[in-house]
Amino acid sequence: MKKLIRVLGVLVVLGIIALLAFIFVPVQRTGPVTQLAADFKPAKGQGEYVMRAGDCMACHTNEGGKPFAGGRAIQSPMGTIWTTNITPDKETGIGNWSLDDFRAALYDGVAPNGTHLYPAMPYENYRKLTEEDVVALYDYFMHEVQPVSNKVEETKLSFPFNMRFGLRAWNWLAASYQAGFKPEEGQDEQFNRGKYLVEGAAHCAACHSPRTLFMSQDGIDSSSKAFLTGGEIDGYTAPDLRGPESGPQKWTTEQTAAYLATARNAHSSATGEMMLVVRDSLQYLTHEDNMAIATYLKKIGTAPADASAAAAKPEVTETEKLLTDAKADMPLGPRLYLDNCAACHIVNGKGAGETFPELDGNSLVTAKSPKGLISVILHGAELPSTADRPMKLRMQGYDQRLSDEEVAALATFLRQGWHNKAPSVSAAQVKAVREAATH
Amino acid sequence: MRDIPGLPSRRGFLKASAATAAIAGIAVPAKAEQKPEPVALTEYKPDCLKPSEWVFVMAAVARLIPSDGDGPGAIETRVPVFIDKQLAGDYGKASDWYMVGPYQPAASPLRGWQTPLSPLEIYQQAIPLFDDWCKTTHGKIFAELDAETQDKALTSLQKDEMKIKPELREFFGILLANTKEGYFSDPMYGGNHGMAAWKYIGFPGARGSYKEWVGKHNVKYPLGPVSISGERG
Repeated sequence: MKKLIRVLGVLVVLGIIALLAFIFVPVQRTGPVTQLAADFKPAKGQGEYVMRAGDCMACHTNEGGKPFAGGRAIQSPMGTIWTTNITPDKETGIGNWSLDDFRAALYDGVAPNGTHLYPAMPYENYRKLTEEDVVALYDYFMHEVQPVSNKVEETKLSFPFNMRFGLRAWNWLAASYQAGFKPEEGQDEQFNRGKYLVEGAAHCAACHSPRTLFMSQDGIDSSSKAFLTGGEIDGYTAPDLRGPESGPQKWTTEQTAAYLATARNAHSSATGEMMLVVRDSLQYLTHEDNMAIATYLKKIGTAPADASAAAAKPEVTETEKLLTDAKADMPLGPRLYLDNCAACHIVNGKGAGETFPELDGNSLVTAKSPKGLISVILHGAELPSTADRPMKLRMQGYDQRLSDEEVAALATFLRQGWHNKAPSVSAAQVKAVREAATH
Repeated sequence: MRDIPGLPSRRGFLKASAATAAIAGIAVPAKAEQKPEPVALTEYKPDCLKPSEWVFVMAAVARLIPSDGDGPGAIETRVPVFIDKQLAGDYGKASDWYMVGPYQPAASPLRGWQTPLSPLEIYQQAIPLFDDWCKTTHGKIFAELDAETQDKALTSLQKDEMKIKPELREFFGILLANTKEGYFSDPMYGGNHGMAAWKYIGFPGARGSYKEWVGKHNVKYPLGPVSISGERG
C-alpha cells in the first residue's frame, strides 16, 4: 500500500514536472534550412515580392491604418484576434527582432519572448519558405518598411484558448514537418514554382483546405488527399480547387492565371475574400508566377470527364427555355431572375466574359454554404482595379429591392437552375446574412 | 414600397407564404404582387401643397388625364401625390437649376425658363390667381366647376386668355408636363400607382434586357412590368 502511494506520488510529481516543462521550457526554434553565404544579399525587390505573395499587408494593416502597423481584428470562432504591428518600430513593432526571431515567427509561430502566435498567422504554410525568401522578407521589413509607433490591442481569447502554451501541442500536429521547400521529383520547374507559391507564401490552404478536428489545415501539400479540396472561412465556402467541377480544372491555365491576376476571366469573377487576395496580393505576381500556380493546380487536380464533349455541342437547358418563354405564371425564382439579373447574366446563365460572371456552374452559386451567394445578391460585389484590368466593375446590391423571401426564392432558383444542383436557401438564412451586415 | 420594419404586413405575409410554397417545390405564379393600399388621396397629407392648392391639383389633373377613358386616369394613378412630392423636392425648389439673374420674364418662350420663380412658387402664385379668374368668369373656383366648364377654363389658361403675368406664364405648361410625368414615371416617385399607366400602354418597365425576344416577331410579350424598386405587375 505504502509502495503504491509512493509510486503514485512519483507519477504525480513527474506529471507536474512534465506540465511545467511543457509550459515553461522554451520551444526549440527552427534554424535556417540553407546556410547562405555570409555576403548573401537578396535581389532588389525580392523581399517586397515575397511580402506580396504572402499577403502580409492584408492582415497586418488596419482599415485606414498605416501599412503593417497592425491592429486589424480577425474574427475567429474563439474570439477576436488583433493583428500585430510588424513595422520596424523598436517599441511597438518588430524593430528589435533578429533574423532568427523573425524566422521563428514564420516557421514555428513563436515570438522572441517564447509566446506562441495564434495560427491565424499561417506559419503552417510560411514554414515552407526558403531561407533566401526569409532573409529577403526580413530585409524588407527592417529596411524598406516605415517604422510606425502603434500599440495594438492585446488579443484576449476566452478560456482555454487564452492558454497559449497549449499551442505547443497543436504545433506538434500542424507545424512539425521539415521546414523549407522540397521540389517534387519528376516535375518541371514551372510546376515546382507553382507548388512553392501555393503551399508556401500564398498560403492557399489556409482557406481552401478543410480543417481537421483540431482545426489544423487538412493537408499542407498535394500529397494529402484533402489539400485544397475546399474549406470554410467565417461561414463562407472557400471552393474546392482540385475536383473536376472546380474552376482551375474546368478552365484553361491561361484563364486561371487571368483570374488570379485580374479577379476575372472568361467564366467567373472573384468576390469576397478572394477579391481581396487578388487586389492585395496576386495581381502583383508576375505572369509567369500566376501561370505556374495555374499549372500546378491543374496537375494536382482531376480533369473534368467530358470537357471536350460539353464544349462541342451547345445545348439549351430547361432553365433557359423557361426564362426565354417568360410565361406569366412562372414561379417566383425565375421571375425574379428575369426582373433583376437576366439583363447582365443572360437567360442562359453564361453572362459575358471578363465582365458578368457565368452563374451556370459557378462555385459561389453552388457553394456548400449559400452565405456568399446571399451576400452578393444583397450587397453586390466589386472587382478590384488591377494593372491588367483597371476597371472596377460593380454589381449593385438588391437589399432594398428584394425581401428575405424573394432573395431565398431567387438564390434557390440559381442553385438549381441550368446545370446547378445545390440545396435550397431559406428566408431565415437570408435574414441572418442581412442582419450580420447591419451589426 | 418597403414594409415598415418590425411590423408584419399583409404583403410580407403573402410573400412569405408564396416563397415558402415555391421553396417547397410548388410552382406559385409570381405574377401578382400584393401590397397594402396607400392612404386614400382624400386623406393624403401633402408635403408642400396647401389645402386649396391640393384641391386645385386634384381637380386639374382629373381633367388632363380623365378617368372615364379607356385607361386609368390621373386620379387612380395618384398623380397628385407625385406632383406634391416633386414640388416639395429639388424640382419644386429648382435647386439644381441655374437660378441667378438677369431674368427676362417677358422674353420669347424659346429662351426657356426666364422667370425668377421656382416651380413650387409658380404653383403657389398662379393657383389663387386662376381660381379668382374662374370665379369672375364662371362664378366658382376651378374645383367647384362642372367638368365641361373646367375643360373650358383650362383651355383659356393654356391660351393665356386671362393674361397672366409673364413670371407665371409657364404654369399651364408645367402643370401638364408634371401630370404626364406623374402618370408614366416609376411608382417609387408616388405616381403611376400599381404601374397602371405602364400596363395600359404595355410598357414592361425596368427589366433591362429583352435580348431573347429580338427575333420573336408578332408575339406578345407575356410578362407585366417591373418597377425600379422591384414591384411586379
